[in-house]
Amino acid sequence: MSKEITHWLDDLLAEIEGIVVRRKSSRRVRVDVPADALPALLELLQGRAGYIHLSAISCVDWIKEDEFELVYHVWSYESHSLVSAHIRIAREPGVYLSVYDLYQPAAFFERDIHEMYGIHFEGSPNMEKFILTEWDGPPPMRKEFDSEAYINEHLSWQNYNPEWLQELVAEGGGVIIPPEEQRFSQKKK
Amino acid sequence: MRPENYEAQRQPPSNEFELNFGPNHPGIEGNYALKVKLHGDVVLEAQADGGYLHRGFEKLMEQRLWIQNIALVPRICVPDPSPMELCYSMAVEQLCGLHVPQRANWIRVMQLELSRIAAHLFTFGGHAATTGMYSTMYWGVADRDLVLDLFEEFTGGRVYSIYNIPGGVRRELPSGFLQRVSETLDYIESRLPDYDNLFFKNQVFVKRAKDVGVMTQEQALAWGVTGPNLRATGLAFDVRRDDPYLIYDQLEFEIPTEESGDAWARTLVRRHELMESIRIVRQVVEALPDIHGPIRAPIPNPLAWNVPAGETYTRVESSKGELCYYVVSDGGPKPYRVHVRGPSSMHAVQVLEKLSVGSRIEDIAQTMFSLDACPPEVDR
Amino acid sequence: MGSIKQIPVVEAKRTNPLARVFDDLVRFCRSRSLFILHYCTGCGAIELPPAMTSRFDMERLGIQPMVSPRQADILLITGYVSIKTLKRVILTYEQMGSPKYVIGICSCTVNGGMYWQSYATAKKLDEYMPVDLYIAGCMPRPEAVIAGLQQLMDKIHSGEASSWEDYYRNYDYYLGNQQKLFGEDWQTPTDVISEAKHYDLLSEGTLGDHTRLLEQHQKPLEALEMRLGHEQEEPAK
Repeated sequence: MSKEITHWLDDLLAEIEGIVVRRKSSRRVRVDVPADALPALLELLQGRAGYIHLSAISCVDWIKEDEFELVYHVWSYESHSLVSAHIRIAREPGVYLSVYDLYQPAAFFERDIHEMYGIHFEGSPNMEKFILTEWDGPPPMRKEFDSEAYINEHLSWQNYNPEWLQELVAEGGGVIIPPEEQRFSQKKK
Repeated sequence: MRPENYEAQRQPPSNEFELNFGPNHPGIEGNYALKVKLHGDVVLEAQADGGYLHRGFEKLMEQRLWIQNIALVPRICVPDPSPMELCYSMAVEQLCGLHVPQRANWIRVMQLELSRIAAHLFTFGGHAATTGMYSTMYWGVADRDLVLDLFEEFTGGRVYSIYNIPGGVRRELPSGFLQRVSETLDYIESRLPDYDNLFFKNQVFVKRAKDVGVMTQEQALAWGVTGPNLRATGLAFDVRRDDPYLIYDQLEFEIPTEESGDAWARTLVRRHELMESIRIVRQVVEALPDIHGPIRAPIPNPLAWNVPAGETYTRVESSKGELCYYVVSDGGPKPYRVHVRGPSSMHAVQVLEKLSVGSRIEDIAQTMFSLDACPPEVDR
Repeated sequence: MGSIKQIPVVEAKRTNPLARVFDDLVRFCRSRSLFILHYCTGCGAIELPPAMTSRFDMERLGIQPMVSPRQADILLITGYVSIKTLKRVILTYEQMGSPKYVIGICSCTVNGGMYWQSYATAKKLDEYMPVDLYIAGCMPRPEAVIAGLQQLMDKIHSGEASSWEDYYRNYDYYLGNQQKLFGEDWQTPTDVISEAKHYDLLSEGTLGDHTRLLEQHQKPLEALEMRLGHEQEEPAK
């Protein structure tokens, strides 16, 4: 990416209020914006800077700060650079706007984040479950969801101490794993 | 003799019906399902139904050490596992600021391209089987096995190599290995004319695949299509060239494109890519004996490895398209968040749903296999 | 002559000396013509195409893939089963005609394998359906798959592979585990208890608390209605 385009992009981004731009490498730009400025930023990037490919939307659960971080990675086929726009939204109620009208691939990512984190995107075409259609627990990717506790409750472990092995051990062979040492998840209890 | 109201009876009030296509169906790639609404045998509406292969990888990776995840990531895409481990390793290297030795980079490129060859041969096999040409499937899978033998020799694993670690690769190449690589490549190249005659020029395949699942370049860009599927619409974009990683900027290769954007074009792009991959591996085989040095940067004790806090987004061109990892570290011994963006999460869901509409039901398999959708990547 | 009850009942014995030979022949033929159901439940399925095609060639043992569960003999569980898949696997298993055999491929079917921490996969396959044979490994090579299938052939020939009878004899146990995972209103379209009666395999373990629970919830079988999820159903007029 030539220097002129770099400056041009910086000037363009300066139009958004409250924006922090960090250039991580020649092809990676990190942008932090307030949550309400993101649609304007994406519109600017898509309409005037050629960032037409939404590569992914990632969600990070910062449970200590009681916030969700949403990261929009957009790529330009012209300037060959990737802008990652970071926003933070409150964990409760966990509602944000959909960017489907700008980027169609957002439908899948928003649907995925909805079922894994429970964030609701207003205006997204389909907020129904896709992967976890037969799941009735809480959104599993949230940090407070303890999957080992869930497994201990719903599923059973393989028995590593069967009778035939005990007989073998009595004869001087084989190794028994006692149930309390089987998984460290159960050891804690 | 026809009854009086024959014409009225012949057309039932509605011949729309709904059908579950998969998950146990030979026309579906892997364990995946489509719910389709049909009028006769023309698809009116299709809805993808995934999650049959869901293992919760992203949650599992948050619960394991950085080094343990190396064994976990290749399982995300079974036919083409090597880009997965590379992409994850690159992310950890970027977070730690590790400098990878040159020799490791060249070996990694060889591994990636061999994996691409294996994945494409496997896809051709599956695709040919949907048109009833089982010989191509038998050949393709058997030739892929030769590449797997190479993998077994230099990584120890047939399918999941688990060869990359952050900082480099795990083992030095065995002696005489490069010679065997070029022999295998020569053999695969000598087989390609046979594949052309049997499959790519076969009228059965051409007639089945032409004008099926057509998308224009504008549609492909709007739907987030990447990889060979995007190149089949005429846009020469490849992460290897346009967002280079490893040493791809030092290698000579071309980016094959096709214009028509149908199932036939997508398959043909893969056919050309096979040649380009062979060309890349040949360059590596030629250059590797002159590149000396270590194969791995020193890393701290992997069982007590606190990766510095930060976030990074790495991109790799896998055989299916653009593969990305978003990795966040909070400075702890385990990743704070890993987000996997598999290329098939676009191709197998939205694109397949849209391309199926208007096609005949028997063409869904053509569309799905030509998109090279990989369900475990969608479900994770 | 007294009443009919006084007539001593002689237990029917096979007097034909060829019967044993005939049984043996049937088992031999059965073991030489096996059809594997083509259902890729997990990642171990990637080693099945090499095992089936030119290089390792399973067909020389008389083993072939089959697309429909009604005509298949072997259900290969190739790797981890997520809970969503496990439902389909059980439906498929019950649809297969007896005698049927189950092989668990990969470590994940034995104890959950490397997904032991995952909330989405079942850990022990033999809680939900009887398993004849496990092939361990992550993933087992095609040679291991073929060796396992050969072992299954020997077991069929010697008459040891009778896990399908176990499903009828201990249906209550398997149903209980399924209900624990899928909820109490879990029901499959197959009437397993009647089938157990048909095969004369009704025993103590067939009926129990869980089958009683099933009978309470059981609805008469209707044709499956397939609709797209988001569509509103219009009231019939």
